[in-house]
Amino acid sequence: MNIFSTLLPFASCIVSFVFAFLVFKRYLARRGPHLLLWGIGMTMYGIGGFCEAYYGAFGWNSLVFRFWYLFGAMLVAAWLGQGTVYLLAKRKWADILMVVLGLASVYGAIRVFGAQLDPGMMGSSLHTGSELSGRAITSGGVRVLTPFFNLYGTITLVGGAAYSVWIFWRKRILLHRVIGNIFIAAGALLPAFGGTFSRFGIGGALYISELLGAILMFIGFLRATTPMESAPKSTAPIAAPKQ
Amino acid sequence: MTDNDQRPSGERKYPELYEKLVPIALGVILVAIVVVLIVAAAIAFGLLSWK
Repeated sequence: MNIFSTLLPFASCIVSFVFAFLVFKRYLARRGPHLLLWGIGMTMYGIGGFCEAYYGAFGWNSLVFRFWYLFGAMLVAAWLGQGTVYLLAKRKWADILMVVLGLASVYGAIRVFGAQLDPGMMGSSLHTGSELSGRAITSGGVRVLTPFFNLYGTITLVGGAAYSVWIFWRKRILLHRVIGNIFIAAGALLPAFGGTFSRFGIGGALYISELLGAILMFIGFLRATTPMESAPKSTAPIAAPKQ
Repeated sequence: MTDNDQRPSGERKYPELYEKLVPIALGVILVAIVVVLIVAAAIAFGLLSWK
């Protein structure tokens, strides 16, 4: 069993599902579509990690690959980001973007599950054995969709966290939310960089960055939802309120 | 214009360490966002190869 190709993604999977469980628990206690979407997003993150670990342990399976590509590569960032949109944008705009994201996700799912696959196209390295890679998709018009989802996810999730940091920092309030959002932004950025490095053939970058990203976002969530000892308790949302 | 006009909450301060670290972290995050967006856009529009 290769530590890079199996244990790292399995660890990402565990961290993500525990994270998702806590977010869903918070959603049941407090409601709010942002918590529901973050929970769904972290569940997608966990599915992606599980599929990578499955591939590392048992080898190629086209159904597992399609689940990995859809949830772990294509949709996860955008759905997490949509949660932040519900927190920061006006409800009407958030609803409109949700409809667009939902339709785009259905279209993406149809394209991923209808795509021709060639596992021989995936690269391998001495260090990692073999990583799942979108190169296995040989049909045109599928992989080109992914950067658009990830652009949206990066702008909304990382941009939203950075915006929240700025708002809280400017007012010098809720330091725990400032620290938490910095961790969330950093954690969300890591897989984006890992994916880019992986794309350029740097073995192991994707799985390591996914694990570190999940851990950093988890720490950020815990920090943002736990007031500092000296600070008064707050019922404010994790990110900055709508302006 | 007084200092208070420029920053209404000027009296409030985070601990010294965070006063220094937060803007640095925010700057690093913003630079990283720009880099990721440029790379993602370049890939999306076919300017960078994904092989």
